[in-house]
Amino acid sequence: MHWNLDLPDHAPARCPPDHPTSPYAGRHCLRAHLSPRLCVRNAIPLGTAAKEEMEHFWNKNINSNRPLSPHITIYSWSLPMMMSITHRGTGVALSAGVSLFGLAALLLPGSFESHLQLVKALGLGSSLIYTAKFALVFPLMYHTWNGIRHLMWDLGKGLKIPQLYQSGVAVLVLTVLSSVGLAAM
Amino acid sequence: MALAAAAALGRLSLSCARSRALLLGPRSLRPAFVSASLPDRPAPGGRRVHLSASRCSNSKAASLHWTSERAVSVLLLGLLPTAYLFPSSAVDYSLAAVLTLHSHWGLGQIITDYVHGDKMVKGANAGLLMLSAVTFAGLCYFNYHDVGICKAVAMLWSL
Repeated sequence: MHWNLDLPDHAPARCPPDHPTSPYAGRHCLRAHLSPRLCVRNAIPLGTAAKEEMEHFWNKNINSNRPLSPHITIYSWSLPMMMSITHRGTGVALSAGVSLFGLAALLLPGSFESHLQLVKALGLGSSLIYTAKFALVFPLMYHTWNGIRHLMWDLGKGLKIPQLYQSGVAVLVLTVLSSVGLAAM
Repeated sequence: MALAAAAALGRLSLSCARSRALLLGPRSLRPAFVSASLPDRPAPGGRRVHLSASRCSNSKAASLHWTSERAVSVLLLGLLPTAYLFPSSAVDYSLAAVLTLHSHWGLGQIITDYVHGDKMVKGANAGLLMLSAVTFAGLCYFNYHDVGICKAVAMLWSL
């Protein structure tokens, strides 16, 4: 069947009622395109808003206590899928790091300088320090490069399947190279 | 990106301008088999959709949020080399603001994806707001009372 959707992929309405949960119920709506069942994405039948449809879906399914159909345990993983969840994972990790830093600034006694002196006093080897820097900068670089890839998609560029894999590999290569380079600085 | 976003917004506002009823042409129709499986629907080619004023503004707000998320992402992208090349107090505070906002909205999307049920969503968002507020406060405190973000990264890297 041919999908002739006018609204872009990022439109606010999420997957409507008839889809089981998936890790990406919102963004990628993979199931919609695999299943031949009814998927009226972005349709507004009789004026019910997407939000109401979503609430109805969740209330119905939570109350019926139906078992959740398997998803990530049975689908074969692809590079775009793995890179997508990694993008989310690195985002969460980076946010956690920033929040921890902010909290530490508010709660811990002593200046930043004093904390650095503490670390210096540990006398850690240069290879360990390099590894630590690499560990810090790797998620940041991955998230940054993949973020640019995402912004390109938002512009409507590079959405063909082969392009997805090409840009994915490019992001991975750039991540490794930039992380190696930055950790050495 | 701005053009695409503007085009998307334009399409939405067009639908809201004729707020009572909207006739959607076949181009913006869902797949043809939808009409086939719903026998009591009108023939493919037209669909009357009623958009109330509140539905309209919800849709506009969501679209604006989406565009703002991308704008903040681009801003943050620009701030990274700026912080390296031109470290300053202004960049410190900009980084604190943009970083927390980007993180706040990103985590918000995660909540929307995985947390369901009215109470849970409200609670999760409240918790997130507190976390973001404390993070921003902490970063500003650090910028004011300590060396600031740019200098701190430079000092850390010189270890």
